[in-house]
Amino acid sequence: MASYFIRRILWIIPLLLVVSLITFGLMHLVPGGPWDREKALAPAVVDNLNRKYNLDRPLWEQYGLFVWNASHGDLGISYSSQDKNVAEIIMRGFPITATLGLVALAFALIVGLGLGLVSALRQNSWLDYLSLFFATVGASTPNFVVAMVMIIVFSVGLHLLKTGGWGSPDQVIMPAIALGLTPAAFLARITRASVLETLSQDYIRTARAKGLSERLVLTRHIVKNALIPIVTVLGPMAAYLVTGSFIIENVFSIPGIGRIFVQGIGGRDYALIMGAVLFYALIVALANLAVDLIYGVLDPRIRYS
Amino acid sequence: MTRRSRRLLSFLTCLLLPALLLSACAPAASGPGGASGDLDANQEYRANIDGDPPSLDPNASAWDPSIAVISLVFKGLLRFKDDLTLDAAVAKEVPTISNGGISADGKTYTIKLRNDVKWSDGKVVTAKDFEYSVKRLLDPKLAAAYASFYYGIAGAEAYNSALGTKSAPKSPDAATMASLRDAVGVKAVDDTTLKFTLADPSSSFPSLLALHPVVPVRQDVIEAKGDTWASDPASYVGNGPYKMTEYVSKDHITLVPNDNYFGNKPKLKKITLFMVENITANYAAFQNGERDISRVPPASVPQVMQDPNLKEQVVRVPRLATFAMQFNNKIAPFDNPKVRQAFSMAFDRQTYIDKVRNGVGRPAVSWIPPGMPGYQADLGKQWDFNPSKAKQLIADAGYPDGKGLPPISFQYANAGANPQTAQYAQAQFKDNLGVDIKLEPMEAAEFTKLVGSKKYQVAMAGWTADYPDPDNWLPETFGSNGGSNYTQYSNPKLDDLMKKAAVEQDPKKRLDLWAEAQKMVVEDLPMVFLFNDERFVLVKSYVKGLKTTAIDTQALTGNHFMDQVYLLKH
Repeated sequence: MASYFIRRILWIIPLLLVVSLITFGLMHLVPGGPWDREKALAPAVVDNLNRKYNLDRPLWEQYGLFVWNASHGDLGISYSSQDKNVAEIIMRGFPITATLGLVALAFALIVGLGLGLVSALRQNSWLDYLSLFFATVGASTPNFVVAMVMIIVFSVGLHLLKTGGWGSPDQVIMPAIALGLTPAAFLARITRASVLETLSQDYIRTARAKGLSERLVLTRHIVKNALIPIVTVLGPMAAYLVTGSFIIENVFSIPGIGRIFVQGIGGRDYALIMGAVLFYALIVALANLAVDLIYGVLDPRIRYS
Repeated sequence: MTRRSRRLLSFLTCLLLPALLLSACAPAASGPGGASGDLDANQEYRANIDGDPPSLDPNASAWDPSIAVISLVFKGLLRFKDDLTLDAAVAKEVPTISNGGISADGKTYTIKLRNDVKWSDGKVVTAKDFEYSVKRLLDPKLAAAYASFYYGIAGAEAYNSALGTKSAPKSPDAATMASLRDAVGVKAVDDTTLKFTLADPSSSFPSLLALHPVVPVRQDVIEAKGDTWASDPASYVGNGPYKMTEYVSKDHITLVPNDNYFGNKPKLKKITLFMVENITANYAAFQNGERDISRVPPASVPQVMQDPNLKEQVVRVPRLATFAMQFNNKIAPFDNPKVRQAFSMAFDRQTYIDKVRNGVGRPAVSWIPPGMPGYQADLGKQWDFNPSKAKQLIADAGYPDGKGLPPISFQYANAGANPQTAQYAQAQFKDNLGVDIKLEPMEAAEFTKLVGSKKYQVAMAGWTADYPDPDNWLPETFGSNGGSNYTQYSNPKLDDLMKKAAVEQDPKKRLDLWAEAQKMVVEDLPMVFLFNDERFVLVKSYVKGLKTTAIDTQALTGNHFMDQVYLLKH
């Protein structure tokens, strides 16, 4: 198990290299550069800027420089934030985005798993249809609509909460709900399907026939087995939540890293794009590893060597 | 960059806002009994500067939120009055030929400084601080965007391009670099005398001395701290009315009065500048009492105008900004002036302002906006909306009823209100000319690249003043070698005229020359001028003393006179 874990961790390095190469290539293929402005900058100024950020070197040299610096922890300086380096931007913003993401994940898990479980156990009851309604609405409502509606109701209307910002616990509530609503809806549906599938298994019938109480059947057999497909989804979902949403961080003005990817691309901020993509790739890789390890815990048939 | 994605999101949320806000009109937004005459005890002003400034370093900054903060923390040699004429700030007086500040040939500026201007840490501001600032701005290693504005100074361009280009790099040694830097025409003769030497006389040079890139900066602080001096409040030393005490990236900046400020002591005790990128969210914050001033999302303008409380709080300020449709004058059919004229006369500008922009802005038929010297109110009327004449013109051009025209593509950046403007234009040209144009929304950076490569046919264009002088409006855009001349319009007579105007020292003669130049441009009509923009903000009724000018930053209204703002009890 330990050697499996180490092998997986080591595989991340070539993964990141490949991702960085593809991103670097795509980035420079896209038309437009970081210094294109409607009011054109003077040619000498553009030359100075390109030289300052090593953009006047041949592409292969730029890539090589990037890999060399990145392996030493230096991801370069963001063009849109001229005195802050990319590593600093990510390290400063990630805890904030991750906190928000984890709270949203907790919300999604509690609401989604709870609703899904209840609707599966009470299949075809009014509770089931209510949860189906919630799941459909939750999955199809764009999260910025949810965000704006909450701001209008709770801030502008009731003056209960601040419209945005970060720092105090009450500022997590609205963004976490807005971010977690759609994942909660998905989880509810997946949980319901998975629990129903588990319920129809022979071993559940056996457990009941043996005389086990419903509670024991639930906790000892249903939950553990139903969780496997859910955990599959949870990996990418956690990675998505923890790396932030551009829209939520924009609407609630949260100083995290959710916006850096989109803003980096819009501004052709090559350093920021590379840093952001590599960071996301790392998070996704780690999340998938965590999921695979959890499988091992949940399903004794799965053993890694 | 942030602006583009921000504008995209604003556009998305603006679609939603009217319906949602209508259901949540909060009469509590403007509290009871606002202006009672007593001063508020806290004197804390909360505004939004639209995002995290990319840099707060005056020499290196180019973006609007940066300029807003810099204008509170620093004061330069000169500044603009609210009528946009120049006034002295750190300088004793505005240099003119008559007071000896400008030499007779217009190439030497000798500026006397006040001796009572202090930095926030108590040290005295000297001419050396200005000399260092200008030289630092021009340092090629800093790669400042505004460096080219000051190429009029002798030796400036040579120093700024000392390291060469990508295809022809140069590597001068330290001694050469030092001598190039020394050769730049700015010198601190003594502590209170600063001398500029220009390569050629330039009548707009005084305006440049009022801009942010040449405010004084502290050499000792910058050399000790390095390039991050501007993001740390402890080292962000300025000579303006306020000083920065807190900078939380992507969140807010806190400013308090600078006790050593040489001018009027500010009445405010604290300014908090938030960095909300979403204009709708910031407007919601204003309604929730978290802000004292806010821009209004365009879609909410009608609702504001209909609400008696909110209407009282509206402040409308003209912006020195003109928007147009630019044509590629070298590609058919827009190489034919009659076609361009027909398009100009087929666009109903007033209805566009009323219906698409909800009344914010003013129709424009010329380039230089109202509020600026050089504005000509009666210019361009011959190209104003006149559908019957438009039809006649397009027929004269050889395309009766728009038939026979090659396919026309209208390209624009898919952000902000551009899509609506483009759709309106498409409808206008169909209705009034019978012409079908194809709309091509593009990603913002890609659009800029396309226009820059001059491969487009017709595209949106806009220009905002860097400083209020026709020198900033005509040569760049309409000069044959203008850096932002994307229409490829070229008129040698105009180039000569603009050269003459740029060096003319007599103010009246200069304005006459610029007027003639603009007339030439409007007659040739390389672009169809559409409208001038306007600032539409809500200010709480307890905010007093807010003085707005047409040269205010978009990010912070009234930034040039923030020392006069105070709050009543509320």
